[in-house]
Amino acid sequence: MTYFELSDISFRFAEGKGDVLHNFSMRLNKGEVVGVLGQSGGGKSTLLRIIAGLEVPNSGNISINGRTLVDRKQFVLPEKRGIGMIFQDYALFPHLTVAQNILFGLHRLSRKERLQRLEEMLELIQLQDFRKRFPHELSGGQQQRVAFARSLAPEPELLLMDEPFSSLDADLKHSIREELKRMLRTANMTCILVTHDKEDAAVICDRVVHIANIGHALNINPKFVSNSTR
Amino acid sequence: MYASAALRNLKRKLNGWMIISVIGAFAALIPSLYILFGLFGAPNENWAHIKQYVLLDSALQSLWLVLGTGSFSVIIGVSLAWLTAAYDFPLRRFFHFVFVLPLAIPPYIAAYTYGAMLSYTGSVQAFMRNVLGVTPNQAYFDIMSMKGAIFVFTLFLFPYVYLITKTFMERQSAAFIENARLLGKGPLHVFFRIVLPISKAAIIGGVSLVAFEVLNDFGVTKHFGISSFTTAIFKTWFGMYDVDSAIRLAGLLMSFVIGLFILERLVRRRRAYHSSTSKLKPLTRRKLCGIPAWAAVAFSSIIFALSFAIPVLQLIVWATWTYRDVFNDKFAGMIGNTLLVAFVSISLLMLLAVIVANVSRASKRSIFTLALTKLISMGYSIPGAVLSIGVLAVFISIDERLGGLYERLGWGANKLLLSMSLAMLVCAYVIRFLSVGYNAVEAGFDKIGNRYSEASRMLGAGMTRTFFKVDLPMIKGAVLTGFILTFMEIVKELPLTLLLRPFNFETLATKAYQYASDEQIHQASVPALFIIAVGAVSVFFYHWLGERKST
Ligand SMILES: Nc1ncnc2c1ncn2[C@@H]1O[C@H](COP(=O)(O)OP(=O)(O)OP(=O)(O)O)[C@@H](O)[C@H]1O
Ligand SMILES: [Mg+2]
Repeated sequence: MTYFELSDISFRFAEGKGDVLHNFSMRLNKGEVVGVLGQSGGGKSTLLRIIAGLEVPNSGNISINGRTLVDRKQFVLPEKRGIGMIFQDYALFPHLTVAQNILFGLHRLSRKERLQRLEEMLELIQLQDFRKRFPHELSGGQQQRVAFARSLAPEPELLLMDEPFSSLDADLKHSIREELKRMLRTANMTCILVTHDKEDAAVICDRVVHIANIGHALNINPKFVSNSTR
Repeated sequence: MYASAALRNLKRKLNGWMIISVIGAFAALIPSLYILFGLFGAPNENWAHIKQYVLLDSALQSLWLVLGTGSFSVIIGVSLAWLTAAYDFPLRRFFHFVFVLPLAIPPYIAAYTYGAMLSYTGSVQAFMRNVLGVTPNQAYFDIMSMKGAIFVFTLFLFPYVYLITKTFMERQSAAFIENARLLGKGPLHVFFRIVLPISKAAIIGGVSLVAFEVLNDFGVTKHFGISSFTTAIFKTWFGMYDVDSAIRLAGLLMSFVIGLFILERLVRRRRAYHSSTSKLKPLTRRKLCGIPAWAAVAFSSIIFALSFAIPVLQLIVWATWTYRDVFNDKFAGMIGNTLLVAFVSISLLMLLAVIVANVSRASKRSIFTLALTKLISMGYSIPGAVLSIGVLAVFISIDERLGGLYERLGWGANKLLLSMSLAMLVCAYVIRFLSVGYNAVEAGFDKIGNRYSEASRMLGAGMTRTFFKVDLPMIKGAVLTGFILTFMEIVKELPLTLLLRPFNFETLATKAYQYASDEQIHQASVPALFIIAVGAVSVFFYHWLGERKST
């Protein structure tokens, strides 16, 4: 059953020449983890930003769980979408501690629920003893885990990840990759993961979508690849 | 784009932040529009006379002032910038700091000080007569002239060129210059063929600020008896009581300034040499030894003495003679007035600056935000004389509109309520200095980028919650900088304060002006020193913030 649907999305930057995305479509089922692969500059980050509501597509529709996020008449603001996103550089708030970062998205819960959720998250990422630290006092891998917990805490309907491993070194990447896979499964998260690396995609994702880059005018081949890689 | 999509996009952007920004920007625009529309009305019978006898002459005088000051500011500002950016010599760090200090001294105060010092009874000639026993030719000391005005303006405005150019040279020019040095080019070649051309945009940015300040000036030209365009406006307004023609003159001056403003933006837009790499190597300084080192120290010392030490020392001496007369209850009230009007204006202004900056950061390249920010930054380039007429005219017409309301409230029909109140002055300050605050806040937002606020939006926080929880804690320093810079500007501001203040409302600046124009130069030194102290502390703080950031 289709849980998330994105159809015929076209997008160009105000001053850009030509479309970055051209009639791009994709679908996800609930609990599915899909990798988006493609060349540098192919529009992968842009795609995630459109789904998140940080950019407005020129045309096309997006809906999740039967709820329209974008079409010609409506636009749901990013904070109202219930979509989580892990940024490439994590964007942890530098003036807040680990615990405060994780609590940030929980302002709609009661105080008791909030603290309970915080404990669950800290346990999930195994950083109970680091709750009072500030982001710059953590290692790259620890920061990555905090970013993950922060996005997951409000229980988003969809999680977006933009090259979550790009700031980690190779050894760390292997262990984190496995861990991330475990955590995604535990939470039964629906997830779109952008990556350069085929191996990353093979380990974590249920299937892979390619954004192909052909020339400049029509950047995107809306090829819908759904070959299972597992 | 389809109409429905356009409507959707409008709805997406429409929120309290946006609405306040648009209203604020348009409110700030009204006085200028009022002045510009004055140009289209039919001129009255005085106009022919003004056109024939006043217009050309005063325009030329102003032009000479701008060109003269501009040229000398470039010569001094750029050579000092290059000296301190590219060479190391004794006391360099000290000089780097003190070259910014002249900004703490408003040119009108410098003009009174130099005027009195060089007069027949002033300290310089008295010293020559009594100690050296020579009676010099008066003509050598004629500072109350066009040359003198250019001298004063240059000494106290060159830091704009110096600061902007030096920052550019230190941060952006290292690669070009080091390449040229490696290719064996001599220092003169490097300076004229490389440094000057690549710094062009920075120099133009600095010199256009100088030009706007000169056109804004009222105190120096008034004191030196130069019939500049600004004095022509005031003469028409207060001498001939011809508001229509004054507005017309103001409109012409404003068209000129807008032209200058656009020209500057056009030249600066093509920042062809702006390096795109984010990690820039700073320029390494060469050590000067022997005669060149001494020459550098001597040149720097002369500039420092003329542009800060001498006038401040002279003011301190005068202050020791007169402070007993000047310090009284009224003086405390005056400081209170200055602080009150400054804090009210700055709070409003920074609030608006933060709101507009927050709206414009998200869509930096949209035409709408570009227009918004350009409108705001124009406020600083509108000369005080023009802005004050505009604000006054707008407030009087609001009062006229509200006459009926005042009557119903039992205050009398023809009461000028708003245009007699402090609201008018506050409004003018906000319009004029909004860009100073805005630039500071914008720099803060630029530094943190959009990623934290985007992360916050993704966590379900709206624009307002994001601002208070994420943005504000990170741009605190920038807001503080804006606060300090506008505080310094408002404390030393003269033309707007003089014209728009309520009856009997004295600030430090108006008091200094009043003493000086009553030939009580020595008494003027006390309020003048207060203004300079505020400026020096602000400059010091700003400098300290900058140094802290760069290390
Ligand atoms: N703010 C912007 N303004 C204009 N063009 C942009 C902007 N951001 C990205 N682009 C252009 O849009 C295209 C797609 O960029 P995007 O960042 O989505 O690529 P990507 O697939 O994520 O690349 P990478 O793998 O390098 O991260 C690129 O050609 C880029 O130059
Ligand atoms: Mg990317």
